[in-house]
Amino acid sequence: MVERAGTILYLDGVSVAFDGFKAIQNLSFVLKRGEMRAIIGPNGAGKTTMMDIVTGKTRPDEGDVYFNGTIDLTRHDEADIATLGIGRKFQKPTVFESLTVADNLSLALAAPRDVFSVLFARESSGRARRIDEILEIVRLGHRREHVAANLSHGQKQWLEIGMLLAQDPKLLLVDEPVAGMTDAETEETARLLREIAATHSVVVVEHDMHFVRELDVKVTCLHEGSVLSEGSLDHVSSDKRVIEVYLGR
Amino acid sequence: MRLAGPLTFAVAIILSLAGVAHSQEKPLREIVNSFAEARNFNQTEEIVAELGATGDPAVVPVLRALSEGDLHVRKSDNQVFIVSGRGKTLTIIDPLTGEMVGEEGKRALSKIRVNNGLRRLIRDTIGGLALGSPDPAARLRAARTLISNPDASSLPAIEAALEKETDPEVAAGMMRARAAAILVSERPDAEKSEAITAVAAISTQDALSLLLGFRGQATGELREQVDRAIARVERVQSYWAMAQNVWYGLSLGSVLLLAAIGLAITFGVMGVINMAHGEMVMIGAYVTFVVQEIIRTSAPWLFDWSLAIALPLAFLTAGAIGYALERGIIRFLYGRPLETLLATWGVSLILQQAVRTIFGPTNREVGSPSWMSGAFEIGQLTITWNRLYIVLFALAVFAVLLFVLNRTSFGLQMRAVTQNRRMAAAMGIRTPRVDAMTFALGSGVAGLAGVALSQIDNVSPNLGQGYIIDSFMVVVFGGVGNLWGTFVGALTLGIANKFLEPYAGAVLGKILVLVFIILFIQKRPRGLFALKGRAVEA
Amino acid sequence: MISGYLARNGLEGRIIATIVLILAAGVAVPVSNLVLDPSHPLHVPTYIVALLGKYLTYALLALALDLVWGFCGILSLGHGAFFALGGYAMGMYLMRQIGTRGVYGNPVMPDFMVFLNWKELPWYWHGFDQFWFAMVMVALVPGMLAFVFGWFAFRSRVTGVYLSIITQAMTYALMLAFFRNDMGFGGNNGLTDFKDILGFDVQADTTRAALFAASAVALAIGVIITARITGSHFGKLMIASRDAESRTRFLGYRPEMVKLFAFTVSAVMAGVAGALYVPQVGIINPGEFAPANSIEVVVWTAVGGRGTIIGPIIGALLVNGGKSWFTGVLPEFWLFALGGLFVFVTLFLPKGIVGTLQDHIGRRREKRQAEKAEEAEAASAAEPTPVGAE
Ligand SMILES: Nc1ncnc2c1ncn2[C@@H]1O[C@H](COP(=O)(O)OP(=O)(O)O)[C@@H](O)[C@H]1O
Ligand SMILES: [Mg+2]
Repeated sequence: MVERAGTILYLDGVSVAFDGFKAIQNLSFVLKRGEMRAIIGPNGAGKTTMMDIVTGKTRPDEGDVYFNGTIDLTRHDEADIATLGIGRKFQKPTVFESLTVADNLSLALAAPRDVFSVLFARESSGRARRIDEILEIVRLGHRREHVAANLSHGQKQWLEIGMLLAQDPKLLLVDEPVAGMTDAETEETARLLREIAATHSVVVVEHDMHFVRELDVKVTCLHEGSVLSEGSLDHVSSDKRVIEVYLGR
Repeated sequence: MRLAGPLTFAVAIILSLAGVAHSQEKPLREIVNSFAEARNFNQTEEIVAELGATGDPAVVPVLRALSEGDLHVRKSDNQVFIVSGRGKTLTIIDPLTGEMVGEEGKRALSKIRVNNGLRRLIRDTIGGLALGSPDPAARLRAARTLISNPDASSLPAIEAALEKETDPEVAAGMMRARAAAILVSERPDAEKSEAITAVAAISTQDALSLLLGFRGQATGELREQVDRAIARVERVQSYWAMAQNVWYGLSLGSVLLLAAIGLAITFGVMGVINMAHGEMVMIGAYVTFVVQEIIRTSAPWLFDWSLAIALPLAFLTAGAIGYALERGIIRFLYGRPLETLLATWGVSLILQQAVRTIFGPTNREVGSPSWMSGAFEIGQLTITWNRLYIVLFALAVFAVLLFVLNRTSFGLQMRAVTQNRRMAAAMGIRTPRVDAMTFALGSGVAGLAGVALSQIDNVSPNLGQGYIIDSFMVVVFGGVGNLWGTFVGALTLGIANKFLEPYAGAVLGKILVLVFIILFIQKRPRGLFALKGRAVEA
Repeated sequence: MISGYLARNGLEGRIIATIVLILAAGVAVPVSNLVLDPSHPLHVPTYIVALLGKYLTYALLALALDLVWGFCGILSLGHGAFFALGGYAMGMYLMRQIGTRGVYGNPVMPDFMVFLNWKELPWYWHGFDQFWFAMVMVALVPGMLAFVFGWFAFRSRVTGVYLSIITQAMTYALMLAFFRNDMGFGGNNGLTDFKDILGFDVQADTTRAALFAASAVALAIGVIITARITGSHFGKLMIASRDAESRTRFLGYRPEMVKLFAFTVSAVMAGVAGALYVPQVGIINPGEFAPANSIEVVVWTAVGGRGTIIGPIIGALLVNGGKSWFTGVLPEFWLFALGGLFVFVTLFLPKGIVGTLQDHIGRRREKRQAEKAEEAEAASAAEPTPVGAE
C-alpha cells in the first residue's frame, strides 16, 4: 500500500468487466505529483480502459480512484473531472473537425465552462496571445485559420496535444500520441512531452519503444488488466513475462 | 322424437363451432310445413314435439307464433308463415329466417289452431328445448340457453331431463340450469341456498344479473349468502375482464409487431429509420385489394384463398419497392441517418400520393374470407377469428424472421453488419448487397403486415401513417439488434395500451404510453435490448 | 443607422443585409397595401399581405429549427409543437377578446365551452384576457416544455435518430391531447372566429399590415439572436458538441446544457412565430401539432441550407411559395413535389441552396489564397481568413 498523500493519481484494486469480460482486474497504479509515466502493454491490455476510468467515461465495478490524493473520481462525471484538472488525448485523435485550429484551441483554453459564461465570453487579446503561443509550440501557426478536418493525422495529434496544453490541466493522460507520425515527428513529440512534464504530471500510453526510450521515464507494463511489471525501461524490457506477452521473443 | 337425423345435429354443431351463424333449413322447414297437414290437436302436438327435438333455437319463434295464434298456412301451396298486422291483408314472414316474404289477403291464409294444453306443451318445449335431444352437445346448448333465460316453469322439464342424463358434462350444465330456474321459482330456501352456490359457480354476466335480481327478494341468511356469491362472481368477472384485456392487448401487440418488425430489421442493420415503412404496409393492403378485385371479377370461387394469394404478392411488391428505394436513394446517404429519415419521408409522401392518384382517396373495400369471420368463446372470452389469425400470423412471421436471422447465412451476414459494419466489410461480406436485401426484407415484411391489416383496418392511402409512429415507439422501446426486443416491445405496448384504455380512455391511454416511452428512453437511451460495446458508443 | 448598430455588434455583412432586407419588406409591403391605390401596379392586396405574413412566421419557425438542427445537430421532429403552443396561447387571448360577441353571448366563456355545458372557465384560461399575460405565456409555455423535455432527453444522452423519434412522439401526444374536448382547447375545431386584437379588428387591412410588420420585426430579431448566439464563443461550442459531443465533456463542458439552452431558445422563437401566425390565419387547431407539419419545417430548413441562418428563411419562403402556387394550379401534385424535394435536397443539395453557394464562394476564395500562400511560402503564418467558418 502506498500512501495516498502526495500522489496525483491513485488507483487501488480497480476492476471493471464488460459483459463478463474482465478488461481491468485488480489494477493498482500510483503516480506521484509531477511525475511522468509511460504505460506499455499489448493490444487489449486495458490501457485505454484505464484512462476511461480515470476520466469518468467508464465506472469501475470496484476499487478506489483518487485524484490529488483526496478527490474520489468515481463520484464525478467527465465534465467535472476535466474541470478538476485532468486532460486527455484520445487514442484516435478527436478534434472538432468543422472548427478552425484556433477555435479548437480556444474552446480548450482554461475558462469558466458553464453555459452563460461561455455565452457572454468575449474574445480577449490575452486569449489570442495564448493561442498563438500554443500554435507555436505545436507547430501549427500556419494552419491557424484552417478547418481542423483538413489537417493530416499527425497534425491532428499535435492539435490535440495543443488542446491539452490550452486546457492547462494538472494531470495529462496521453493515449498513443505518436501513432501515424514520422520518426522526426516522434522525436519532436517526445521532446514536447518532456517539456510539459517539467510542470505537469503526465501518463503516456505508447507502443513505440523507441519513443518510450526517448521519454526516459519509469515504465509500467499492463497485461490483461493488471500490472505485469514496473520500473525503468531496461528493467521492464528484460522482465521475462513482459518479453513473453508483449515484446516478443 | 327420433325423426331429426343426427346428421343435422352434427352439421349444426360443426357450423356453430366454427362460429358461423347458420342453420340447416331444409328438414326444419319440412317439419314446420307439416303443420299444414295436422288435422287435430294431437297431430299438432306431435309436430311441436318433433320441432322441440331438433334442439335448434330457430324453431323458437315458430313455436311462439303458434302459441300466440300467429302461425298460418297459405292455402295455395300449404306453406306455413308467421303473420303480423291486422285487417284484410297481412304481412307474411318466413317462420325460420324471420324475413318478410310479402303480403297476403286474410282469405288466402288459414290459422293453425291451438288450445291451452298445446300452449303448455309449447312453453315447456321452448323451455326444455332439446334437453332431451339425442345429441349431448345440443342438450348442453339447451341447458345454457336456460341459464341465460331462467324460467320457473321449465323446472320440471329440466329435472326430468336431468334424471335421464348420462353425460357428466351435460348433467353439470343442466344442474346449473336447474339452479338458475330455482332462483326464480317458489322452491324452498334450502334448495335456493344450494342454487345460489351453483349459480355463483357459473360466474357469467348472466349469473351475476340473476343473483342481483334474486338479492332483492332474499332475506336473512340467504341474503348474506347471495351477497357473498355476488362478490365472488364479480371477482371472477374481473379476472375474465383482465383476460379479455390481455387478449385485446395481445391482438394489438401482434399488429404492432407486424408493423414494426420490418422497421426494426432495417433500423438494426443499417441504422436508418425508414419513414416510408408505413407506406410499405399500405401497399401490402392495396395488393390485397387488387388481388380480391381480380378474383371477384374473374374467379369468385377463389375468394377464400385471396389472402393466401395476396401474401407472397404483397411481400414481393413491397420488397421490390424497398429494394429500389435502397438502391436508388438510401445507399447514397449511408452514414447520414437523419438525412435518410428525411429522404424516406419524402418517398412516403410520393407513395401516398401515387396510391391516392391511382386508387382514389377513399377507403377501399377488402373482404374477409369466410374462415376469418365470426367469433368463438373460451369461458367468458370472446375471440374473433380474424384477430386470432392475425396473432398467429404475427407469431409465424416473427418465427420465420428469427430463423432467417439466426440460422441462415444471409442472417449471419446481417448480424455481422449490424454489429460491426467495417469489420464485416473487411471480412468480405458485401455490405451493400446485405443492405439492399435487408431493406427489401424489411419492406417485404411490411407488405405482409399490410395484408393482415387490411382485415381489420380501413384500406386507404393513410393506412400506413396510422401505424408508423406506433412502430417507431416499438422499435425505440424494444431496442435494435435483437428481434426479441421488438417482440417484447410490441406486446408490452399493446397490452399496456389496452389496460390503460378502460381507465383513461383510448386517447389518453395512448398519450400515457407515449409519455411513458419518452421517459423510458431517458433511462435506457437505446431501448430494452440494446447492443453494447464500444462500436455503439462511437 | 440600423446596419451601423448591427455592424458595431460584430455581425457579418450577410446577416446585416438580411436583417435590413427583412425590415425593409416589413415597411414596404404594409405601406404599399395601405397607401397605394388598388389599381396601382405596386399595390399589394390584403390577402397577399396575410399570406406573406404567414410565410414570415414560417421563416421564423424554420430559423428556430435551424438553431438546434443546423448548429447543435438536434433534428427535432417536434418543432411544430412549440409553434402550435405559442399559437394556442395567442388564440386563447383572442378567444377571450371575443367577449359577448360569440354565438352564445357568454361574456367570459368561449362558445365551445358553453356548448359543452361547462359552468366556469378552467383555471388555465385565467389571465388570458390580458395581452401581456398571453405574451408571457407565448414564450413561457413552449420554453418550459422544451426545457423540461430537453432536460430529460439531453441529460440521458438521447441523441440522433432516437431523439428525433421522441420529439415526434411528443408532438403526436400533444396532438392527441388537444383533439380531446375535455382538454379545454376547443377539441377538433380548435380556436377560431377571432374578433379583435388589442382592440383592433383582426380582419382590418391596417391590422393585417401591422401584423405583417410585427412578423418582420420578430423575424429580424430572431436573426439577430441566432446570429449572436452562433457567432459567439458559445456558437463554436455548439458546433463542437454537434460534431464530437463526448469530446467536449473531456474539456470540461456540459454539452447537454449547451443543447438545452439552444433547444429552449429555439422553442421560444417557435412559440413567438406561432403567436404571430394565429391572428393572421384566423385559426389554430390540433392539426398544427401533426407530425407531418414538423417534418415539413425540416424540409424548409434543409432546402435553404441548415446551419446558415439565411438558408432556412429562404427555404421557408420558397417552399411555401411553391406550395401556394401548386395548390392553386396542380393540387394533386403538391405532395409529389414536396416528396421529390425531400429526396432531391438530401441527395443532391445536402447543404441546401445557401450552403452550396457559400461552399462555392468559399472554395474560390480558398483557391485564391492557396495561390497567394504558395507565393509567400507556407512557413510564415497566413493572414487570418474566415474560410469555411460557419
Ligand atoms: N465499452 C466497452 N465495451 C466492451 N468492451 C470494452 C469496452 N471498452 C473496452 N473494452 C474491451 O476491453 C479490453 C481492453 O481494451 P483497451 O483498454 O482499449 O486496450 P488497449 O490496452 O489496447 O488500449 C478490450 O478487449 C476491449 O475490447
Ligand atoms: Mg488503447
